[in-house]
Amino acid sequence: MNRSLWIGLGASLGIGGVVFLGSRRASAAGASPTGQASELAPLPTASEATGDLEKNWGDTPVDLRTLFDKMQAVSRIAGSARIFAIIAFRESSFITTAHNGNAQGEQDERDDSRAAYQNNKDRNPPLKYGEQAAEFGSGGLFGALAPYFLWTGVPEVGKKAPLLGAPPELMFQPRAAAFGACVYLQRLLKHYRVDDHADIKAGWANPALLGKGRGSDSYNHVRARFLEDAINLGIDLLDTSTIPPKLSATAWPGVPAVFADLVGALPKELS
Amino acid sequence: MTFDLDCYGDGIAALADQAGDFDLRSSTDTRDWYTRTWTTLADTLGFTQALSAELSRLRDTDDWPRSIAMAGVAAFAQSLRNRRHGATDNQALVQSAVLRQLITAGRERGELWRVSVDPTALETGACYADEHGLARAFYPDTAPGYFGDGWTGPPPRAESRCGWQTPLVLHLGTFPWVYSSRLDGVGPGLRWSSPAAAPAVDAFRIVASALDPTSNLRQDARQVAAIFLHFRAQTAPLVARLPLYRPGVAEVGRLHRRAGLLHVHQGSLNVAGLDGPRGHLPAPAYNYILRRFADFFAVRRATVLAQAAWTPEMTRIASASPDPCLRAHAEGVARAG
Repeated sequence: MNRSLWIGLGASLGIGGVVFLGSRRASAAGASPTGQASELAPLPTASEATGDLEKNWGDTPVDLRTLFDKMQAVSRIAGSARIFAIIAFRESSFITTAHNGNAQGEQDERDDSRAAYQNNKDRNPPLKYGEQAAEFGSGGLFGALAPYFLWTGVPEVGKKAPLLGAPPELMFQPRAAAFGACVYLQRLLKHYRVDDHADIKAGWANPALLGKGRGSDSYNHVRARFLEDAINLGIDLLDTSTIPPKLSATAWPGVPAVFADLVGALPKELS
Repeated sequence: MTFDLDCYGDGIAALADQAGDFDLRSSTDTRDWYTRTWTTLADTLGFTQALSAELSRLRDTDDWPRSIAMAGVAAFAQSLRNRRHGATDNQALVQSAVLRQLITAGRERGELWRVSVDPTALETGACYADEHGLARAFYPDTAPGYFGDGWTGPPPRAESRCGWQTPLVLHLGTFPWVYSSRLDGVGPGLRWSSPAAAPAVDAFRIVASALDPTSNLRQDARQVAAIFLHFRAQTAPLVARLPLYRPGVAEVGRLHRRAGLLHVHQGSLNVAGLDGPRGHLPAPAYNYILRRFADFFAVRRATVLAQAAWTPEMTRIASASPDPCLRAHAEGVARAG
């Protein structure tokens, strides 16, 4: 896949936020590269769940199901919990500190984040840790590209986007990664033609695959791999009691509400 | 009169302390401890919500340990129905038959924590038919592992139809982590189900019974202590390498030690683990196994200390027990009047 194309399209489409890179398993980050990430609330526990944590989750880690459930509840996108699980299975193998860009062979990830930053910094609000984000690559539970992760919410709330003052390592904290993923999913659902669940993963890899790229080899490849991931993880995409045939973001409560429910207030130095 | 759990080995009392002390004669204390223990157990195995639903139907009862155990087994069975079946009907039916025999024999011996048998002495031979012919119904777990240094014999007395060359050994006390040398991320015992049978539920009842005061007394605690001491010897060097969890300075995503257990800060415990000479040990398995040992000895201590309230059956079990620690204590109390 042409990563620079994805980034270019992401920018020209005015997304200005998160673009998630598909198609690879991330290496785990042993330590926070700059040590600048501040502490958010821990993962939600089973007692906080509002949805079913036992049905149609396959081998999704038990202690992450509540986070996915909370993402679904907060975003008000019915059925999204298990879709997020399948995406995280591919993007990070459920390792919250997955980091593409810190290993020898991941120069392309750093190139992507550098290009994402350079090509978009003039059209988006400034990032306090922009240079670090440019050199960061991608990572977290859902494989976010660092500059786009930090610009999450810019199209919706402009300079009030909540992560502008945060370092890229914040994406290793699952609640922050979850926030970025929720915003991105609602954007895909609201602004693109999404015919089925596999289309979501195509858009996750590259929104252009839902436009001009529809039907291309890349489009078909990403879709096939998503369906395979669902089978391997043990989630039945046809179980309509847990995943409606089509996801909808019509009840989306807005970026500030989703941020407040998932992340809460950021430490003062980051806000 | 006190009861020193260290009679079973150094550190056993401290192990029980990890599970928390409670007084079986206090209904509030008992209810709190058992509810907390069962909730933690259910959290690890993924049936918290099913347990919660079962508990909401529980009425006031004089025997909370037994009532919550029944609720727990029902919740586990319910959650198992939501999982993918890991066995064919043929395999699961043979597993059920084998478990029934093993549990009956283990109960007679007072050794249910680890059960073993010559598979060729079983009616089924612990073999089941699959598309390739006959296969072993369980993993031949006799290599050195986290629960022991291996079981080489005695070898099966008859020739096995499906290739058993070693005894069949299962650690039911730590179900679903039943194999000493194969501690998969998802406990292997959770795969013991098919549309026709759920041997996993039969095995899970042994976990529940270890928490029941009367059944706990029946189990020879020396067997449990020996397995725990081996587990501790194998895992202590691996755990010692981990940093201690300190709020505010813990590293995101890293495995830490916290209150004697493993903890991943801002991450999933289910994708973390320890690697040692005895193989991979998933972090949830470590915590769960340690808790099973700790809970067993916490119940043993609470049960013994509540001797004044024992039923005649409990008195009979204690006085006939091969466990010298239990027998000596029971006799001491009886002599003291």
